[in-house]
Amino acid sequence: METLANFGGGLLVVLEPQNLMYCFIGVFLGTFIGVLPGIGSMAAIAMILPITFYLDPTPALVMIAGVFYGAEYGGSTSSILLNVPGTPAASITAIEGHQMAKKGRAGVALFSTATASFGGGIIGMIVIAFLSPSLAQLALSFAPADYFAVILLGLIAASAVSNGGALKGIAMVITGLMLGTIGIDLTTGVTRFTMGVPELRDGVHIVIVAMGLFGVGEVIASIRGARSGTAAQTVDYNNFYPTRDEWKSLFAPILRGGAIGSIVGALPGTGQTIAAALAYAVEKKVSPLRDKFGTGVLPGVAVPEAANNSATQTAFIPTLTLGVPGSPPMAIVIGALMIYGITPGPRLLTEQPDMFWGLVASFLVGNIMLLILNVPLIGIWVRLLRIPYKYMYPTIIVLICMGVYSLNNNVFDIWLTLIIGVAGYVMRLFRFEPAPLLLGFVLGPMMEEQLRRTMLLSRGDPMIFLQRPISATLLMLTVLIILFALVSSLRARRRNRAAISSTN
Amino acid sequence: MKLGFKLATAAFAVAALSSTAALAEPGAWSDEPVRIVVTFPPGGTSDLVARLLAQHLDTDFGQKAVVDNRPGAAGTVAADYVAQQAADGTTLILSNNAPFTIAPTRFANLPYDPLAGFTHVAYIGASAPGLFVQPSSGITSLQEYVAFVKETPMTYGSSGVGSISHILGEAVDAALQVESIHVPYQGSAPAIQDFRAGALDSFYDMVVQNSDMIEDNEAIALAIASPERNPQLPDVPTFKEQGYDVVIENWVGLSGPASMEPDTRAKIHETVMAVFASADVQTKLTDLGITHVAMSSENYEALVADLIGVWAPLIEAAGIKE
Repeated sequence: METLANFGGGLLVVLEPQNLMYCFIGVFLGTFIGVLPGIGSMAAIAMILPITFYLDPTPALVMIAGVFYGAEYGGSTSSILLNVPGTPAASITAIEGHQMAKKGRAGVALFSTATASFGGGIIGMIVIAFLSPSLAQLALSFAPADYFAVILLGLIAASAVSNGGALKGIAMVITGLMLGTIGIDLTTGVTRFTMGVPELRDGVHIVIVAMGLFGVGEVIASIRGARSGTAAQTVDYNNFYPTRDEWKSLFAPILRGGAIGSIVGALPGTGQTIAAALAYAVEKKVSPLRDKFGTGVLPGVAVPEAANNSATQTAFIPTLTLGVPGSPPMAIVIGALMIYGITPGPRLLTEQPDMFWGLVASFLVGNIMLLILNVPLIGIWVRLLRIPYKYMYPTIIVLICMGVYSLNNNVFDIWLTLIIGVAGYVMRLFRFEPAPLLLGFVLGPMMEEQLRRTMLLSRGDPMIFLQRPISATLLMLTVLIILFALVSSLRARRRNRAAISSTN
Repeated sequence: MKLGFKLATAAFAVAALSSTAALAEPGAWSDEPVRIVVTFPPGGTSDLVARLLAQHLDTDFGQKAVVDNRPGAAGTVAADYVAQQAADGTTLILSNNAPFTIAPTRFANLPYDPLAGFTHVAYIGASAPGLFVQPSSGITSLQEYVAFVKETPMTYGSSGVGSISHILGEAVDAALQVESIHVPYQGSAPAIQDFRAGALDSFYDMVVQNSDMIEDNEAIALAIASPERNPQLPDVPTFKEQGYDVVIENWVGLSGPASMEPDTRAKIHETVMAVFASADVQTKLTDLGITHVAMSSENYEALVADLIGVWAPLIEAAGIKE
């Protein structure tokens, strides 16, 4: 009851005309910046940061949050239409989403991402309202050993993301792991595999890898296939409502995606990309349509979007209640609050209740705004596909270059993106999928960091992984998944053999 | 090391006197917007100081200024970039330890000269890190800490290899003649999280930023590495007064490319000093844990040169030289 009363109070705060206006500005700007390839929530928040200095803390926080989840939502649009993800997390949405667009169902895919984002956002908001203190406690009880175990679980579960052959998937994950080792070793400060290039000292940025593999790779591949001039797909421009059966098939995936996203988002140091990938991997195992995954199925579009958006909301839990930013955008949120003399931490909930509950309520208002704003836009976005390739692709390349340059304001990053893009194109030729590579790239360095930290803390004793209940449970789960996969592949092989011998 | 700090202290004293001898009037120095390059991504203390400065340059003196974040390679990317720009006062860098006092010793091939390659314009202020231990350890003073650590080495968290908190950790180990286990993190926030969770025995971080934890008795601040106690936390003793000569501060200043016109340098110096003279701005600065000190451009330049020498043995002792 107290939570509801607090939430009601927050709703009154956010419904003040000023706060309402900044919430709208936030989601509006966020959506548009998110659509642009390569310019993600980080750049979007950094852009509006100077404006927030002239506001009160609550509207400032509401606006920054709006930009954040607006951009994460907008990132899915270009990934579905063009296979060019607007944000790294959206590359998971692209797996099924772009297949749907190829079949002429881009409108339906966009509509379901809008719905799934809304669903995920609401789930994330409910989780924040009711579970903030306990999730903050959970994050606090997570030691490096437990983070290692959860990342390992994610990596194993996510190797299921690949829709190609298992061997090719593993090859891609390992390539990603190797790419991730470039740069300064966090534990010793030694530079690894930089080949003397100073720009590689800090490693390769995830946006560069995502934009190169997916964005540039896609553009090069399309040049070959697109002599005709415009997109070949026939699109029904006005019909973007899912059928009644499709509506029904969306409900459970949104709930599952939202739940997984909420938990992953609340753990600092994980993030939206992992949330989306994990949710997609789980859905691929449990969905009634699991056999059709990879060909453009609606739940495969909805799940990563729901997870992504709920993770975006729950990322505020460790940021505000522990003062631990889970991602670079969240670090900016902490910086913005510090300007007002507000130090995020355990005291924030009691010292700034209006601000906290105003923010939570703004998630409801902001997600409704996103829905109202975006459903009418679907028709316009889909028409983008009518633009002849000769105009569209150069524009995309320019946008990618701008986005990548905005990361560190360094031209080297643009060249690196183009090189990775060519590699992405070659991979495409040989039917290697880029998604597992991206996951290995994101998860590998995190896993290494936590593993080595654990060993330092335990003074070299590996038994710590089995002594801590959280990590022991997670590792057991990982072993079960591997066993399950082995057994089911053995069975499938036996069945195939039986089928072959019976036809003989 | 001792001599270095005497020089630094002398520089502070002279600065306080000479800052009144202003030649230029504070005011806008360029019709173009000035870029303040920051060596860190948005959101950190350094970034916030730059944004505070940019905002007040505009509102107080009509000098448009924008913050340009160019993080990477321990601040050397930003410093190298600024060193190559025109010295007309339109490109400045929010200078700090990383590219100017740590990098010159840490990296063998630095693409810029931290002294001759820049015009050091204005010193802004410094914040001091300190040592924190778990309240459950029962340790309340450095003496007890030394006795404890000599028996059982502690793990300590830092904000990264080669960061100021790591170098302080190594300096303290050397001064106390103990050996601790260094556990690096990416920034201080995740280190503090592991400390709260009980996984870490101790950590080094800026002291004022963690005053909440000290008040709530979630962490005991054993010592601060400033020359004198911080007025905001008068109960936290310095390393110095407990008999260990460890003074390491995280300073910020404003610098530009080499061979800037003396008039431009004086004008920027006076304007920046005028911004930080206001009580309102100083309060915001102290909230970020930074104590402002007024200093002439010449003394600031001498301080940078002095600190490179002071830090060199610490960096070598930390074993992070490349």
